[in-house]
Amino acid sequence: MAIYSAEHRRLMEIFHPSGSQEYSEVLTSLGSFMEKEILPVSPRVDAGEAKIAPLRKKLFDQGMCQIPFPEEHGGLGLPFSVYANAIELLGTADASIALSVEIHNAVAEGLNRFASPAQKKKYLPSLLSGKTLASFTLTEPASGSDAATMATVAEKRGKEYVIRGSKMFITNAGEADLYMVFAKTKVGPSCFLVDAPNPGMTFGADLKKLGMKGSRTSEVFFSDCRVPEENLVGAEGKGADYAKEILHGARIIVAALNVGIAQIAYDKSVAYARTRRAFGKPISEFQLIREKIADMKTAVNAGRLLYFYASMVKESGADFSSEASQAKVFSTEMSLGVCDSAIQIQGGYGYTTDELHRHWRDARLLTIGEGTSEVLRMLIARREMARSQ
Amino acid sequence: MKVAVCVKHAVDEAELKVDSSGSPLLAGAASKMSTFDKNAVEEALRLKSAHSGEVSIITVGTVEAKKSMKEALAMGADRGVLVVADPLTVETRRTAELLAAAIRKGGPYDAVLCSEGSSDIYSGSVPPMLGELLGLPYFGYARKVEVNGQTARVERALEDSVEVVEAPVPFIASVVSEINEPRYPTLIQIMQAGKKPMEELAPDAILPGSGPAPTLVASMKAQTMARKKVVFEGTPEESARKLVEALAAEGVLPR
Repeated sequence: MAIYSAEHRRLMEIFHPSGSQEYSEVLTSLGSFMEKEILPVSPRVDAGEAKIAPLRKKLFDQGMCQIPFPEEHGGLGLPFSVYANAIELLGTADASIALSVEIHNAVAEGLNRFASPAQKKKYLPSLLSGKTLASFTLTEPASGSDAATMATVAEKRGKEYVIRGSKMFITNAGEADLYMVFAKTKVGPSCFLVDAPNPGMTFGADLKKLGMKGSRTSEVFFSDCRVPEENLVGAEGKGADYAKEILHGARIIVAALNVGIAQIAYDKSVAYARTRRAFGKPISEFQLIREKIADMKTAVNAGRLLYFYASMVKESGADFSSEASQAKVFSTEMSLGVCDSAIQIQGGYGYTTDELHRHWRDARLLTIGEGTSEVLRMLIARREMARSQ
Repeated sequence: MKVAVCVKHAVDEAELKVDSSGSPLLAGAASKMSTFDKNAVEEALRLKSAHSGEVSIITVGTVEAKKSMKEALAMGADRGVLVVADPLTVETRRTAELLAAAIRKGGPYDAVLCSEGSSDIYSGSVPPMLGELLGLPYFGYARKVEVNGQTARVERALEDSVEVVEAPVPFIASVVSEINEPRYPTLIQIMQAGKKPMEELAPDAILPGSGPAPTLVASMKAQTMARKKVVFEGTPEESARKLVEALAAEGVLPR
C-alpha cells in the first residue's frame, strides 16, 4: 500500500475541498519518493549502519522543507496541514529523519514569525532549500519545560552578545549550521542565532538513545560564545514567548510524526496477523487479535483527525495552543499504545526483532520531547478553563 | 532537438484485482503512468539537456490521463497533447494511428520515444506500429540512445546479446527500464506543471473518417496456475526419492 494512501487523499478532500487535488499530487509524489529512497534504508538507520544526512539531503532537494513557507522566501506557500501530513508520511518512512526535519523546520518557522526582514533574507532561503541545517536550542540540563529557570546567559558587550551556559538533549547538535539559542539577558529569556562553527560553541557526545537512533542528540556548551548584536531575534526578553509559539506549531508536527509511526506499526501488524497461523488458522481470525486491530485502526485515524484539526485551527489564525497540545498528547500516547499492541500481536518476534520493536522505541521519545504529556495536560486544562469562563 | 514521448495512463497493475472468472476489474481501478514510460520521459529529458530543444508528451486517454501528463511535465517535459479517447475501448492499432496523427500534427520531431510496453497490457506493439505508420526507422529494446548530428546510435538489449545499430534522424525508439533511472520531480516542479501548455485533441479532428477497428480483443483473463498438490510421505530419504522420480516424470529435470 502506498504511504500516501486513498484514506489520506479522502481526508485532504474533506479538509481542503478546493486545493486537495494539488496537495494530493504533491504528497503522492513525496510519498512515493520516501517509499523508494527512505523506507528501505530505515532499518539500517536504526541499526546504526546508515547515516541520515544523505537521505535528509535528498528530501530537502525534493522540497520537503519548503511546503508551509511563503514563496518570497523560497517556500511553496502551501497550508500547514499539508506540511503536517508530509511529516506523517516521513514518520512512517523513518522517524529519526522526521524528527531531524521537524526540528529544522521549527527554527525556520520561528524565523518566519519573529525574525527581522534582514535575518529572514539571510537565513530562510538556505534553510528552506536545505543547503543549511538548523537546531532548536532551548532545553537545559536542569530546565526543560520550565523555561523561567533557564541558566544560560547572554551578556551585552559593545556590539556583541556573549553567551555562557549549556543546553541539553539538542537534536541536530553538531550537524547543524545554524542554532536558535535561548539565553537570559538582563531583561529575560531572549532568542539568538548562532552560526556554526563558532569557537565559543562546542558539542558533547552523541547521546545513546532508546530509539530515534538516526537523529543526533547531544549537549551544547557555550563558553564566551560571541554573536553579533544583529543576531538577536525580535526583542530582548521575549524569547520565552517566541519559544512557546514555535513549540505550539511543532507539537502539531510531532503529533503527525507519531501518527506516521503508528501507521507503519499497524500495517506490519495486519500483515503479520494475516500470515501467522495458530491452531490451524491465521491469527487474524481470532477475536482477541481482531479487537486489537480494530482499536489500533481507530486510534490511528483519531490521531490523524486531531492533528489535521489542530492544523486547520492554526491556519485560521485563531489560538491553537490547546488543540496542538491535545493532538500531541493524544497522538504520542496513542502511537506508543499502537506500537505496544504491534509487539503483542507479533509475540516473541515482536520483542526480539529490531524491525518490529523499533517503532515502539522511536515513539517512546515523544511523550517527553517538546513538552511532556504532563505539562501539556496542564496547558490544555488551563486554556480550556479560561475559555469556559 | 524536438522529442515526442508517447506515454500511457495505465491501470496500476500492483493494485489490480480480478473477479471470480479471472477477468480484471477495470472499472474504478487505480491508475498511474505506465511504469517504463517514465524511462522514456527521462531519456527524452536527457536528450534535451544534451542537445537543447523541447520535449512533448503525447497520450491517448481520458481526462484521467492528464495525471500522467502532469507527472511527465513535472519531470521537465515542456508541453502535453492529449488525444481524448478511452484506451479501454480503443484497440492497439487505433491507438498507434491516433498517436501517429498527433505526432504528424505537432511535428516534425527528431525523435519519438516510447517504452517497450505498457505495464498493464504489455503488448509492446504500439512502438513498431508507429514506426510503420510514420515511415521512420525503429529501434526496439533500446538500452542506450545517442544522437550525433543527424545520426542516432542505439544499443539494443536482446535476449543474449547487445546489438548496436545506427539510423538517420528522425527515428523511433522503445526503451527498456535499464536505460536510466527516472528522476523524481521536486514539489515546486509538481506545482508548476499545471501551468505548462496541455492541448486536447478530438480523434475525429486528427484522424477523420477512420473505419472500424481492425482488431478485436475477444477476452482478457488473469493467468491462472493449477497446482497438483501432491504430498509424498515416508522417511525423508523415501520422500526425496519419490519427489525426484515425480519431477523426472514431469520432464522438469535435466537428463
